[in-house]
Amino acid sequence: MSTVKLNTLPVQTFSWLGVNEAHRELEQSGVKAVTLSSDKNEINVLQSADYEITAHGGENKTAVMFIDPCGKTEISTSVSVENSSSVRLVQVFEGREQTVANVDARVCDNASFELVQLFLGTSDTLSEINTQLEGRKAGFTANIGYLLDGNDKLDINLIARHLGKKTNSQITAKGVMNSCCEKIFKGTIDFVKGCGGAVGNENEDVLLIGEKVENKTVPLILCAEDDVQGSHGASIGRVDEEHIFYLQSRGLPEEKIVQLMARSKIAQIVNTISDEQVRERIFNKIGRDNDNG
Amino acid sequence: MSEKTKVADIDRSRYDFRFEEDESNYLGSGLTPELVSDISHEKGDPEWMRELRLKSLEIYNKTKMVDWGPSINELDVSRIITYIRQKSRMNTDWNDVPDDIKQTFENLGIPQAERESLAGVGAQYDSELVYHNVRKEVAQSGVVYTDLESAMHDERYAEMIKKHFMKLVPPTDHKFAALHGAVWSGGSFVYVPKGVRLEIPLQSYFRLNAKGAGQFEHTLIILEEDSYLHFIEGCSAPKYYEAGLHAGCVELYVGKNATLRYSTIENWSKNMYNLNTKRALVSEGGKIEWVSGSFGSHVSYLYPMSILNGEGARAEFTGITFAGEGQNLDTGAKMVHNAPNTSSYMNTKSISKSGGISTFRSAVVVNKNASGSKSSVSCESLMLDSISRSDTIPAMDIRTKYADIGHEAKIGRISDESVFYLMSRGMSEQDAKAMIVRGFADNVSKELPLEYAMEMNNLIGLEMHGSIG
Repeated sequence: MSTVKLNTLPVQTFSWLGVNEAHRELEQSGVKAVTLSSDKNEINVLQSADYEITAHGGENKTAVMFIDPCGKTEISTSVSVENSSSVRLVQVFEGREQTVANVDARVCDNASFELVQLFLGTSDTLSEINTQLEGRKAGFTANIGYLLDGNDKLDINLIARHLGKKTNSQITAKGVMNSCCEKIFKGTIDFVKGCGGAVGNENEDVLLIGEKVENKTVPLILCAEDDVQGSHGASIGRVDEEHIFYLQSRGLPEEKIVQLMARSKIAQIVNTISDEQVRERIFNKIGRDNDNG
Repeated sequence: MSEKTKVADIDRSRYDFRFEEDESNYLGSGLTPELVSDISHEKGDPEWMRELRLKSLEIYNKTKMVDWGPSINELDVSRIITYIRQKSRMNTDWNDVPDDIKQTFENLGIPQAERESLAGVGAQYDSELVYHNVRKEVAQSGVVYTDLESAMHDERYAEMIKKHFMKLVPPTDHKFAALHGAVWSGGSFVYVPKGVRLEIPLQSYFRLNAKGAGQFEHTLIILEEDSYLHFIEGCSAPKYYEAGLHAGCVELYVGKNATLRYSTIENWSKNMYNLNTKRALVSEGGKIEWVSGSFGSHVSYLYPMSILNGEGARAEFTGITFAGEGQNLDTGAKMVHNAPNTSSYMNTKSISKSGGISTFRSAVVVNKNASGSKSSVSCESLMLDSISRSDTIPAMDIRTKYADIGHEAKIGRISDESVFYLMSRGMSEQDAKAMIVRGFADNVSKELPLEYAMEMNNLIGLEMHGSIG
C-alpha cells in the first residue's frame, strides 16, 4: 500500500484551493489487462481490473461497465481508436467503496471516442480521463453525470488534448449534490501548437440541494494555437424559485419538485446512451433510490 | 512612429529615459537582519514596525517559493537593491523636488494631470515618496492623503495604521508578502471620513528608476461609512538588462455602504518582476470596484482579492492584460463571499501577441455563511498569432446551496471575415486588426478614466503596428 498523487491539474493554481491534486492509498493491483474484442461488451465490474479497447479498420465498438465493487478498487481502461473508427464507453459507478478509475484514450484520423460516466452514489471515487486527439478531425464527446448524496466524495479530472488539426471536443457535466457531499470537477481543454482549426467546448451545470455541500469547479483552457475556438461555461446553484413556485401552483410539493429537477438533470446525461436496456437499468436505479430517499 | 499622448506612460520609447543614480544612496543588497534593521533605523520606525520587519524576514526565509505560475527562477532576490535613500525629504511644493526627479514626473505628465483633474497626487521615486499634495478643499473635508511614513509618526493616525497595517495581507500570506513586510518603503495612506464623497480622484504614481532595484511601496486606504473614493495608481520604470522587482502591497478597508474604485495602469518595463499583492475588505453594503490594466513587466503575478465580509457587500473586477514579446503575465482576481447576499462580478480580457504569454487565473469562494450570494465571471482571450500563448485557469469553490454562480470563457482569434470586411471598406490590414482589438477591449476601456482609456487605445494601436517593445 502506498500513497499516490492522482488527478493532477495540468497547470497548477492557488494551492489553498486544494484542487491541484488528490492523494489516495493504493495497492498495486497487478491484474492482467483484459482486451474487449467484441463490438458490444457489457461487464459487471466487481473488483480491480484493467481493460483494453481497440477499434480499427472502421470498427464501431461499444463497452458498458457497471462498476459496483466490493472493497477498494482500481479500474483502468485503455482506449485506442484508429483511423475512421469509433469507440463508445459507458461507465456507471454504483459502488459504495473507494474507487479509482482511469481512462486513457488516443484518437486517430477521423475517429471518434464517446465517453459517458455516471456516478450514482459513490462514497469516494476518483476518475481521471486523458484523451489525446492525435489525428486530423479526431473527435471526443464526454457526458458526465453525477447524483451525490450523504457523505459522497467525487473527484474528476478530465483532460482533452488537441494535437491534430480540426479536432473537436465536447465536454458536458451535469450533476446534483445533496446532503453534505463533496465534488471536484476539473475539466481541461488543451490546444497544443499545431492543432489549427480545433474546436473545444466544455460546460458544467450543478444543482445544489444539500445544506452542507462543497462544490469545486475548475474549467481550464490552455491554448498555444491561434486558429482555434474554445469555450467553457459553468452554472452552479439551487433550483430556480420561479420553477418551484410554478410547479407548486400545480399541486406538487417542494420536495417532489426538487426530486423531479434532480432526476431531469441526470436524465439529460442518461439519454445520451443509445442502448435502451442500459438506460432503463439506470433509470430504475435512480427511481428506486429516489423513492427510498 | 512616436505618438505622444496625455499620460505618457505607455509609449515606452518615451519613458525609457533614466537618470544615473548615486550608488552611495543604496543601503545595500541581500537580505539580512542587519540590512532590515538599517532600513528600519533609516526610516525611524516605531518599535512595533521594527519587530514586524524582522519577523517578516524570518517568515521570508522559511517560506517556499510558489510552485505554480510563471517561472521566477531568474530573479535573484539577494541581488536586488531593497532600499535607496532619497536626495531630499518629501515635498508638498513641486518646485522643491530635485530637478532630475521633477523632470521624470514632468515627462510622465503627473503635475499636469494634478492641475487638470485630480484631487491629490503622490509621487514615489525608487524607495521614497518625493512629492505629496492634496487640494485644500479636499483636506478641509477631513480626507487624509499622505505618505505612510509621515502618517505613522502622526499621533492622529499612528494607532489606526498599527491596527490595519499588514492585517489584510499578513507576512505569512506568501513569500513576497513576507519580503514586503521586511523591506517595505514608501506608499500612500488615505483616510476618508464618514459621509465624505470625493468626486475627483486621487492618484499615486510609482516610478522605479534605479538599475537592479526593488520597489516595495505600501498603500493603505481606509474608507469610513457612506464615503466614496476613486484612487488611481500608475507604475512605470525604464528598461535595464538587469531584473527589477516590484513587490508592493495594497490594503483597502471599505466601510459600511462606502464605495472605493481602485484603478491601476501598470506599465513596468519588460525587465520587471511584478509580484504585487492587493486585497480589499468590504463591510456591509460596501462596494469595491477594481479596474486593472496590465501592459508591462517581464513576469506578473497579480490577483486583487476582495473579501466580502458584510451583508450585501459587492465587488467588481474589470481587467485587461496585453502580453507581448518576452512577457509572461499571470493576472486575474479572487473573490471571497463571507456574508449573506454578497455579489461579485468579474469581466476580463486578455490579448497575447508576438510570443507573449497571458494567463487568466481566478478564484471565487462562497462560504457556508454567504447564503443568497451571486457571482458571475466572464473572461475572453484573443490570440493574435500562433507563437503566443493564452491560458484560462478559473476555480470556483461553492459551499452553500443558496448561491447562484455563473462562469463563461472564450478563446479565439480575430476572424478573417471581419478583417476582410474592414479592408473592403478601405482600411489597411493592421488598422483593421487594431480596430477589432480596440473593440474587444472596449468594455474595459470604458471603465478607465478618460485619459487612461485614450492611452490604452493608443497602446493597442502602437502594439498592433509593432512599433513598441
